Amino acid sequence: MAEYILEAVDIEYKYPGGTVALGGLSMSVEKGGKAAVLGPNGAGKTTLFLHFNGILRPSRGRVRFAGRDVRYDQASLMELRKNVGIVFQDPDTQLFSSSVLQEVSFGPMNMGLPRDEVLRRVQGALEATGIIDLKHRPTHFLSDGQKKRVAIADVLAMDPPVIIIDEPTACLDPRCRRHVVDLLDAANREGKTVIMSTHDVDLAYSWADRVFVVMDGALAGEGRPEDVFQDGELLERAGLDRPWLVEIYGEIKKKGWLAAGSPPPRTKEQLYDIIPDGRRASK
Amino acid sequence: MLQIDCYAYANRLLSVHPGEKAAFSLVTMIICLASPSPVTSLAVILLAALLTIYRAGVPWRPYLGIAAVPALFLAFGAAAVAVSFSGQPDGYLFGLSLGGTCVGVTPRDLGIAARLFLKSLGATTCLLFLALTTPMVEVVSALRKAGVPALFVDLAAIVYRFIFVLAETAERIYISQSSRLGYKNLRSGYISLGQLAANLFIRAYRRSQALFTAMSARCYTGEIRVLETGHRVSVKNVAVIVVLDLSLVALSLVNLP
Ligand SMILES: Nc1ncnc2c1ncn2[C@@H]1O[C@H](COP(=O)(O)OP(=O)(O)OP(=O)(O)O)[C@@H](O)[C@H]1O
Ligand SMILES: [Mg+2]
Repeated sequence: MAEYILEAVDIEYKYPGGTVALGGLSMSVEKGGKAAVLGPNGAGKTTLFLHFNGILRPSRGRVRFAGRDVRYDQASLMELRKNVGIVFQDPDTQLFSSSVLQEVSFGPMNMGLPRDEVLRRVQGALEATGIIDLKHRPTHFLSDGQKKRVAIADVLAMDPPVIIIDEPTACLDPRCRRHVVDLLDAANREGKTVIMSTHDVDLAYSWADRVFVVMDGALAGEGRPEDVFQDGELLERAGLDRPWLVEIYGEIKKKGWLAAGSPPPRTKEQLYDIIPDGRRASK
Repeated sequence: MLQIDCYAYANRLLSVHPGEKAAFSLVTMIICLASPSPVTSLAVILLAALLTIYRAGVPWRPYLGIAAVPALFLAFGAAAVAVSFSGQPDGYLFGLSLGGTCVGVTPRDLGIAARLFLKSLGATTCLLFLALTTPMVEVVSALRKAGVPALFVDLAAIVYRFIFVLAETAERIYISQSSRLGYKNLRSGYISLGQLAANLFIRAYRRSQALFTAMSARCYTGEIRVLETGHRVSVKNVAVIVVLDLSLVALSLVNLP
C-alpha cells in the first residue's frame, strides 16, 4: 500500500465571515509524489493548503501528517511547519523584509540553525532560484517575477520534505516558468513531496503524477492525469480546459491515425513519437 | 521617499559600516544642537552637505530638492519666531501697526530666528546624510545591535517594508481609477480619492493578516530573527569622524559669544 505523507480526512472550514470554504474534503497525497491541485477560483485550494501546515484548524475532520493526526500545540505546530513549507500565491504578502538576504534567512533562523548553516542554505536557495545577484537588492525594487522567486527561495532555504506551492507559474516569463518547474522536479528527485495548485492544465497534465480536482470546497475527482483529463464530464463540471496534448491525441485517434492501444502522450516528444510517418502511411 | 531610498542603495558610502555613519550623523547633530554659535551651525550644514554630495556622490540638484522640503518647513517655523507683538513701535526693523499694537520684527528676534533656523537645518542635513547613505535595513540592524527593544525594531522594519507595498497598491488603484475616468473632473476626483483611501485602509488590514499567516508558516513565534550581514569597522573612518567632530567642537568654543 502506498505511504501517504499528508491526508485530509473530511475537513470542514468556515471563515469568520461565514463563507464555507471547505465542506467535508478528503484527499491523500502520496509520499514523494508530485500532486497538482486544480479547481476554479474560490474552490478552496489555498484554504486547503493552509490546513496542511497547521495555519488553519478544521472545524470538523482531521489533518494527518506522516500517518499521525496533526496536533495544535506550539511545539507540534513548529515541527509540522519545519516539515511542510508553503510558497504563497501573492509574494507581496509573504515577503516581510526589505532585504532579500534577510528575507530568505528568516525561516532557517527560526528553525534555530547555527549562523553558518543559515548562510549556506540561504546561498544555496538563492543559487537554485537564480537570484543570487539580487541578494543585496531591496525587495521593493524587484519585479513581480523576481519577488516570486524570492518567495520560493524562502521555502527552499528551510529544506522541508514537503513543498506546497500555490500558483507557482503566475506572472513568470516562459524561461522562469521552466526554471521553476525544473526546480520543483529536482526537489522531487531528492525525495521531496511537491504539491502545487495551478490553473495551467497543460502544466498539471505533463508535470503531475496525481491530479486532484477541488470544487466548492470538496474533492470533485482525482486520479492519474491521463485519466482525469479524459473525463469529459468532470472537466466540464469543474470548468477546466483539456490540455492541448489530450485534445490533439483525441483528434488524431478519432481520425484513425493511431494504432489501437497507444497510450495518451504526456509530453510533446511522446506525441511526436506516436504520430506515424505520413509518407509511409499513404503508400 | 522613493528617491531617498534609491540613493541609500546606490551611493559610494554604501559599504561603510552603518554604525560609523550613524555615529557621525548623531555626534555632529548633537554638537550642532548644543553649540550656541551660528558659525558652528553653518559649518555643520556645509560639512554634512558636502560629504553627502562629494563623498557619497549624491548629485547636488536632487540633493537640494530633497533638502528644500524640510528647509521650507523650518523657514516658516523660524519666521513665526521672528515676529513679535508690542505696545510701542520703536525698536522694530520693520513693522505694522494695527490699532494699538504693533506687529513686527526686532533685530534681536531676527537674530534668534536665524540661529534657530541654521541650527535646525544643521540637524536636518546630518539626518539627511544618514538617510541618503544608509539603507533602512542597515539602520534597523544597527538599532538592533545597539540594544533597542526588539518590538520597536521589528515594527520599524515592517512599517518600512509596508510603506512600499501600500504605495504600490495605492498606485495600482489610482491607475485603474484614472483609466476608467475616475479623475475626469474635480467632483469625481474627490469621490475616487475617497474610495482609494478607504480601499487602501481595508487592504492594509487584510495584508497585515496575510503577512502574519505567511510568517507563521515559516515558524514565526513572536520575534523576527534574520541574518545580519557583517561590516568591518574602519579605523581610518573612525579617525576621520573624530577629527571632524573635534574640529567642530573647537570651532564652537572659539566662537563662544
Ligand atoms: N481570509 C478570508 N476571509 C473570508 N473568506 C475567505 C478568506 N480567504 C478566502 N475566503 C473565501 O473562501 C473561499 C475559498 O477561497 P480560497 O482562497 O481557498 O480559493 P482558491 O481555490 O485558492 O482560489 P484561487 O484560485 O482564486 O486562488 C472563497 O469563497 C473565498 O472568498
Ligand atoms: Mg488561491
